[in-house]
Parts: sequence; C-alpha cells; structure tokens
Amino acid sequence: MGGYVDNIKKAQITEQISVQVYQNPAYQSYTTEELRKLIEQKVALEIKRLGLDKPFIRFDSLYGFFHSRAFMYLINALTLSLGRSEHIYSSSGSKQVWLIIKERLPYSVLLFTTASLLVFFASLYVALILSRRYGSIWDRLSVALAPLSTAPSWFYGIILILIFAAILRLLPFGGLVDIPPPENRIMYALSVLKHMVLPLLGWFISGIFVGVYSWRTFFLIYSSEDYVEMARAKGVPGRLLERRYILRPTLPTIITSFALMLIAAWMGAIITESVFNWPGLGSLYMAAISQFDTPIIVGLTVIYAYLLGVTVFILDIVYAIVDPRIKVGGGTAA
Amino acid sequence: MWRKGLILVAAVLLGISAFARTGAWVDEVIFFSEPDMAKAIERMIAGEADLYAYSVDDIDVYKKIIESPDLYTVSAYGAYTELTFNPYPADPNVTPKEFKNGMLNPFAVPRIREAMNWLIDRDYIVKELYKGLAIPRYLPITPTFPDYARLLVKARELEAKYAHNPEKAKEVIFAEMEKLGAELVDGKWYYKGQPVTIIFLIRVEDVRKEIGDYVAGLLEELGFQVDRRYGVSRDLAKCWIFTDPAEGCFHIYTGGWITTSISRDQGGNFDFFYTKRGLGVPLWQAYYVEPEVDKVFKKLAYNDYSTLEERQELMEKALEYAMKNSVRVWLANEAPVFPMRKGLAMAVDLAGGAYGSWLWSYTLRWTDEEGNPVEGGTVRIAIGEMFNEPWNAVAGSNWIYDMMPIRGTGMPVVLPDPFTGLARPQRVEKAEVYVQEGLPVGKTLDWVDLQFVDEIQVPADAWVDWDAEAQQFITVGEKYPEGLTAKVKVVVHYDPQLLKDKWHDGSTFSVADILMHYILTFDRGKEASAIFDESAKPDLDAWLEYFRGFKIVSEDPLVIEYYTDSIELDAETIAANAAWDAFYSQGPAPWHAIAIGILAEAAKEAAFSSDKADKLGVEWMSYIAGPTLDILKKYLDKAIEENYIPYSNVLGKYATDAAERYQNLLKWYEEKGHFWVGNGVFYLESVDTVARTLTLKRFENYADPADKWLGFAEPKIAEIDFVGAPEILEPGTGVVIPVNITFKGEPYPPEEIDFVKYLLFDAEGNLVDVGKAEYFGGPTWNVILSPELTAKLPSGTVKLEVAVSSKVVAIPSYKSITFIVP
Repeated sequence: MGGYVDNIKKAQITEQISVQVYQNPAYQSYTTEELRKLIEQKVALEIKRLGLDKPFIRFDSLYGFFHSRAFMYLINALTLSLGRSEHIYSSSGSKQVWLIIKERLPYSVLLFTTASLLVFFASLYVALILSRRYGSIWDRLSVALAPLSTAPSWFYGIILILIFAAILRLLPFGGLVDIPPPENRIMYALSVLKHMVLPLLGWFISGIFVGVYSWRTFFLIYSSEDYVEMARAKGVPGRLLERRYILRPTLPTIITSFALMLIAAWMGAIITESVFNWPGLGSLYMAAISQFDTPIIVGLTVIYAYLLGVTVFILDIVYAIVDPRIKVGGGTAA
Repeated sequence: MWRKGLILVAAVLLGISAFARTGAWVDEVIFFSEPDMAKAIERMIAGEADLYAYSVDDIDVYKKIIESPDLYTVSAYGAYTELTFNPYPADPNVTPKEFKNGMLNPFAVPRIREAMNWLIDRDYIVKELYKGLAIPRYLPITPTFPDYARLLVKARELEAKYAHNPEKAKEVIFAEMEKLGAELVDGKWYYKGQPVTIIFLIRVEDVRKEIGDYVAGLLEELGFQVDRRYGVSRDLAKCWIFTDPAEGCFHIYTGGWITTSISRDQGGNFDFFYTKRGLGVPLWQAYYVEPEVDKVFKKLAYNDYSTLEERQELMEKALEYAMKNSVRVWLANEAPVFPMRKGLAMAVDLAGGAYGSWLWSYTLRWTDEEGNPVEGGTVRIAIGEMFNEPWNAVAGSNWIYDMMPIRGTGMPVVLPDPFTGLARPQRVEKAEVYVQEGLPVGKTLDWVDLQFVDEIQVPADAWVDWDAEAQQFITVGEKYPEGLTAKVKVVVHYDPQLLKDKWHDGSTFSVADILMHYILTFDRGKEASAIFDESAKPDLDAWLEYFRGFKIVSEDPLVIEYYTDSIELDAETIAANAAWDAFYSQGPAPWHAIAIGILAEAAKEAAFSSDKADKLGVEWMSYIAGPTLDILKKYLDKAIEENYIPYSNVLGKYATDAAERYQNLLKWYEEKGHFWVGNGVFYLESVDTVARTLTLKRFENYADPADKWLGFAEPKIAEIDFVGAPEILEPGTGVVIPVNITFKGEPYPPEEIDFVKYLLFDAEGNLVDVGKAEYFGGPTWNVILSPELTAKLPSGTVKLEVAVSSKVVAIPSYKSITFIVP
C-alpha cells in the first residue's frame, strides 16, 4: 500500500527521467530498447532512493506497521531526528533536514521577528493612546483604517516593489544582499538591512491597523471594568490607572499573544518570502510542499509543534509570575 | 619627431594589446538567482541585470522587453508542444472502440486522430495563443533542426497537406463517428444513448492551458462533450502515464517536450513517440503501428540502413506514416526569448538558448556602436534558482541554472556549433574516422577525415574494460583472446597546446586528467570498486554495449585511438565522442581534485552522486560550499601527506606532478574557499550560496585569442525576397523568377548554402513540382519554370515556395508567392 501521493510521485519520476534520458545527447545513438531499459533502471533506482518501494503504512501485521514509512516518520518526529530530505538541499549542499532548516531559520527570524516586534509594540502603544481618547478623530480614523489589514503583506509588498524599486529605484526588488555581496561584514549587514526595508514595510502595513484596532478594543473593554471605574472614582491618576489597573491584569493575554506571534514569525511567511526572494523558512515550506518533500514538511511541522509546546509550558510559569491571581502549587481558589 | 615616435610605439603597443586579448572578452560575470521572470525583467529595466539567461515565454513580460529602449532579445527553439492521444484499443481488429468502462474512444481510430491535424489551426495557436513566441510544428521532427532541412521538400509537402482545413476535419470525423455507431442528435454526439464525452487533461503551467481550452472548444463545436481536467504535471502524470489506457482515465493530454541541444539525428523520434518500444509505461504499451510501418520506424531507430540516401527514403516514409498514425498531433515549437541589454552580445544556442549555450563564455562581450567587441567590463546575469543541488563534476548538479556558470569554467576539447549542432574542435587538431563500409556516415567539416574500410580490428593491447579489484585496465587481448572488431575507429590528434594549458589553480593539464575521466567512468559502475555507485551502473552497462576499446598511441603529442560500434550520421559527432577530456558530465575537474573526492567517498564520508549519498546516509559532495568542504580539505591534507595517486597502477606513470598539484589545490582553497578548479575562460572567484550569487572572473592564463569563436556570434538565417515575380503565369511560357537571398542586407555566400529549392503547389495544396534554383550572382538565384512545366499547371491559384537550406545554421528559410494561372 503506497498511497495516492506515492503513485503521483512514481508517475512524476517516470515522466522526468524519460524526458531527461530522451533529451540527453549522450544517449542519442542508443536504440529505443536500450533507452527504455536505461529509463526503467533509472526509475527503479530513484523509486528505491526515495523509499517508495516500501509501503507508506501497513496494518496487516505489527511487523509491517513498524516497518512502514509512516511509522518511521512518527518516530523520527518524536525523537527530533529529522533525517534527510528527499529532494531539497540546503544552499550549501546538505540534505540533512536539520541543517536545511538551520540555514533558513536565521533569515526568517531576522525578518519576521523584527517585523512582528515592530507591529506588536507599535500597535500596543498606539492602542493604549487611542483607548484613552475613545471617540477622538484619531480613534475613528484607526477604526476606518482597520480593513486595510485584510490585504496580506505580500500584496503590499508587490505595490511597494513597484513604487520603491521599479519606479523610484530607491530600494532593491528583493533578495538578501546586493549583487555582488559586499565583502566587508558591516557593509554586508547594512546591505541586508536595506533589503529588509520593503518586506518589513509590507508586513508592517498589513499588520498594524488590525493590531491597533484589536488592542484598542481590548483595552477599552478592560477600561470599563468595575474595579477600573472604582479606581478612577477614587482619583487614581491616569498613568497609574493605565499601568496598574489596565495593563497589569491584561499582561497574561499580551504575553500569550506576544509569544505566539514570535513562534509564528519563526515559521516565516510563505508568499511574502517568495515575493521578496527571501531565503527563509516560508519559501522552504513552499518548495517542500510543491515537491512532496515529506521529511522537510514533517521537520518544519515538528519544530513548530515543539516550539508551541515549550512556549505554552513557559507561559504557564510566566503567568504565575506576572498575575497574582494565579498560584503555583496546591492553593485553592477563594 | 620623438613625439611621433612615441605615438607610433604606443599605437603598436595598443595594437598588440588588443590583438593579445585571450580567453574571455569581459573581466567579470556575476550570476544571481531571480526566479520570478517578471521581476527579472523589471530588474533589467532598472539596470540591475544585463542578461536574463532563462527563457521568457510570457507575452506580457515580452511586451515589457520590447517596450524598453535598453533591451533586445534572441530566440531559441528547444521546447515543443503536442496533443497526446489515448489510442486504446488501437489494434484495428479490436472492436468496439470502447474503454473498459464502456466509454467510446473516438481517438482509437487513426483517421480521427489524423483529422485533428486539419481541425487545429496552428497559425492561430502560434499567433494568438503564443503571441508569436512559437512557430507551427506539424511533424515529429523539429523544424529548426538539421533533419528538417534534409527533408525540407517532404516536410513542406506534408505541411501543405495537413494545413488547417476544418471542413475536411469535420467530414472525416463525422464519417468515422458514424462508423463507430455514434449518432448526432441536435448537434451532439451520442453513443449507446449517452453523450460522447472526451476527457481532456490540460496542463496549466504555461500556454498549454490556452491550447487545451482552444482544442476543447473545437471539439465541442463538433458535438463532443468535453470534460476539461486542469492540473500541473504532478496532478496529471499518474493518469496519463501510469494508468492503464483501457481504464479510460483520459482521451487527450496536452504534452510538452524539451531539448537543450540541437539533435542532428531525429530518426529515433518515430520509434520513441509512436511504438511500444518507446517507453515501458502503460500508455506506450497501447500503441499500435502496422508491421511495415514498424519496420521503417525500427530501422531508423537502430540505424539499420547503409546509405544516407536510404535513410532519406525511410525518413520520408516515416513522416507520412507518423502523420497518418497521429497518436500525437504536433502543435508548436516554442520560441521563447532571452533578453539582453543593448551593447551586450553572445552566441545563443538555437535549442538551448542562453543557458544551454556552450559558447556563451567565449563570446559574451560588450560591443561598441559598430558592434565591435570591447575588452573588459562586468556582466550581471539573472537566472533561475541556483545551487538547488551541490556542485561536483562527476555527478553533481544537473540544473540548467547551474550548468551555465559551470560550463563557463571548463574547456571541452570539442564544442557543439550553436547553430547546427556540428562538433567543432577546441583542442583537437584533427581526427581520422574509419567507418566500416556500408554504414551511413557523412562529414561536413575539414577537421575530420572520413574513410570507409572493410573491417576494423581492435588491437590486442587496446584497453576495453576495467578490473576494479586489480585497479587495472583489461586489454582486448585479455578479454577477447579470439580478437575483436569494431564498426568505427577514430584516431584523435589532440592539439599540442592541450598539454601546456593551465588549470585555474596553476597546475598543467596532463594525460592523467583524461585518463582519470576514463577510469572513473568504469570504476564507479563496477561492484568490486571502493567507490561503486549503483546509479552509475546502468549508464556504464549501456555504454559498454558499444565501446570497443581505446589506446594511447602517442603521449606528446597526444594521439589516441578509440573503437566503438556506436554510429552517428556525422563523422564530426563520432570524433567528438571519441575525443575524451577532463570535462565530466557535470563540469570540469583535474585529476587531483577528483582524487580527494574519491578518498572521501571511499571513506563513506561523502558521495559524488545523490543516490549513493542517500544510500550511505552522508552528504552529496559539493566542491563549492557546505559541510563537505571540510571533508574534502581533510582528504586533501591526507593526499598531501601520502602523496596520494589514485589508480596508481595506471595513473602513476602520468601523474608525476602530484605533490605540486596538491599544493596548488591547497593554495587555491585557502585563497578562494572552494575546490572548484576548471580550465575554462572563467574561474570561480566567489560563491554566496545563501544570497544565491556567484562571481566568475576572467582566467588570464587561457591560451586562445578572445576572438576565436566570434564567428558564431549570430545565426545566419537567410532572408528571401522575390524580385519582379509575375502576377499571372501564362501556361506554356517559360518564366525566370529571380530571388534574392541575403543576410542583414548582404548577399548570402553561395558556398554557405546547401541548396535553394522551389516547390509548386496547386490551389488544393498538392505538390505539383519540385526543383532547384540556379545561382545567378550576387544575392540572386533564379527559379526557372520551363514551358513544359507551366503548360501542365492547372488553372487557378498556384503557390510557389522557395526554400533555402544553409550549411551554417540549421534553421531553413522559406517564402512563397502566388500566381494566377488563367
């Protein structure tokens, strides 16, 4: 039992190898029989190389199940032994899934963590201000602009490329660094920063309006809690009220949102990275899906799952620290 | 006076300097990845790139190029599209023509498939769907390759016969449908009470989506119900390749094929595309051809003929049979363009385009306003995804994006002409080709001397195989004590310059570099070898079927004898196959660079091929980046320490400079940070695999003058003009119709013209007469129609077509005019 994807893969292998052999001038003098034999041998080798000669999953016996590819994927995933990719290589030529991910990770982190931090703190800051000025012209404007975030970052990316790269020629079309890359490290870093400007801007425009709107609404809800009204009635100054009565009790939510945003940023952004030709995990994901490179897909998913698990675990501890209502240990609720 | 003298000296020095330019014209080439075609062109317009080395086939992008005052384009013709039919049940004795599920398959009937040729308007496809970025294709041979020129008359005759004729198509299809038992009710076909449905697999990645919709529309107009199933390659491959055609998974598929080099012998196409022998997959097993047709196809595929004239007859027959069979209906040869900045020029291969050109590195240059080459400068080349796979010369990356820069770093001893595919010598003085009498081989160029002999005996001391355990060549005497004959013997006289040429790390080329290539070809495919690679075995086994031996006759000057049973139509190709060098299948490499890879693979720490790397669970060897660089460095240190000479039983005699070579490689690695050592006009200066860019720099020690290959800068496609042709042709009167044949306004040299022929067609498109035009002088050739011939012409419109076949470019030219015969 190989599964539908296996059949697709086998058909693709046959098609690709047939075309390759047929078009190769080295085989031009071969007879049709010899070409066919050669193609069949190469197809068989490729099927074996990809493990497609082994069943994807078997339930007929325990032995069969434990020797199926699906079981091996599961064990590898659980033990974080990410194995080797089927087709994709790291830029430096490695097939180790871990090395491939490791090579791409810093670039996704660099771009999207920066972008997410910018969006997060900017929207938080603006939202706090707006929540204090509910109903003002700025507040209304922020509500009116919120729908702009329905367009994804890559959409703004294309427009920004058009304006700043194609027309004004102020910023690069994409890529990681200038061509040729500067030899000096500082210049190299500056060049990378220059290449980050447009994707950052695209991400920022796409995220900021909805961010501001959501946090503003969130703070407004908290601002109308009874204990806040009480404190306000008692004459607690505005800054103190904001810090102690609004921000502090909402801190767990803010931290959760921040942590999850960071993890999401580590996975990159599939289309944005492709638009900007950015060598991150998003474009890796896209390549892996289009080539059915299971080990890479499993690897990326597993890392995300582990990151999520660890984050939730850490958050539990952080909640106990930042929120006095949460107790560690066997305390009972009052 | 002294000033004049100084000026004179300076002028002489400048003259010498200009004359002395060797190797590449430009100083530096920077490649970078830009997978997005539209963005690549925007970057070219913005001045960030000078050449986009990947084909542009998108009409909107093409318009942008045309609109830009700074860019121009060149075309290539390597890819072609067709309709693949499911012919089950193709056997004429099997009826009804139904799939196992009871669905009718009209395309099981050859006449219906043949009629599809008339139904489809290829001119519409080319002009409206491809927007001019293609040329029509009717036949299984490529209209821009040499076989087409050889068969020009038959090809044009068949193209006229199968020209767009929807009425005829309808007539044939309707008649055949009725024979099948289908009924036309209210303009819709029904079979056994059910609408006749055509399952049409339509690829969506390119123009085939529009082609599919267009053909589906035509079929719907004829009364068929079309089930359009769209998808990319992987979505559809299982259905059309892997599913038993009897299951009725599909009726038609929009097929596409690509070739990146000019094929000079397309005789095997018939066997491959039309018979069961083509591929061992279910679809091909459903093919059926009549026994006498099968015989013709097989003879062409197996070169089973004695003369080129006999081959010509077989090819003409095969073309007719193929059109009648039409299990494939050919549609268009794509003509994608490669955009360049004005002022930049290079030889672009007619099949492979910019990325497939073997001469790109020798001819890439900036030019002045008159078109003369300018020395120096930098060229920035945008290309698709680079570094998808590791680079190693033996079995590394085969991506076209990687192969372009790789070729720039190497120097094959023979190179293919980008316009005819004929092999031309780079480091071969001459080659004597001896062919067994009765085999169909011809020659065109002077560097090859072709002779026919009764018998070719392979000498007993020639090497014919490899003993991987003993690490020794096996001689013919040892393997074939009874003696061995071959169909072909080639004596290759290498250019003495070869053994003076320098590798990029400063090492001098030697016989050991060539021998290493031979040995590795054997050793990797032998199970007893320490570097046995399962994936190398099929290629070795197939090659050994033909290989009959080789022998070093003289070491300096280097002369070798090569024996084979492999036959090619051109003696030049046979000689090129015999002239081995140090350019492996995936790049150039000196023996000492290969040696450290051998050590790494034998130690199971890295592998040359992807298959073996997967099998061992180690990294695929990269000579330019990544974790294997450290492994290679480790084995370079070991090689230095032990003065390691691989295969010392054989190479020991020739690899006398091992210590010096390893030191050169070490120094190279310390300077450049990689082990990629070639001998081409460019060396690899730097690589940034993450930023996906690399820089090549001009190799100053390259020996040949820079203008060596400049003659191949542009394909000389003949232009035809009728001069003073009559509008009315009186029957019974002799007529002389002058035709000017030129290239860029200058007369086309008659010695470069293979033939100028005329074809006369009647109003029905039937060929009435064929003849040769006569050279008159200057650009003019005369088509002479005798009074006897014009007397025979039927009244009505007559078309006269003039066809020109050139010796220097594979693309023939043709142009036609019409006359009224009262």
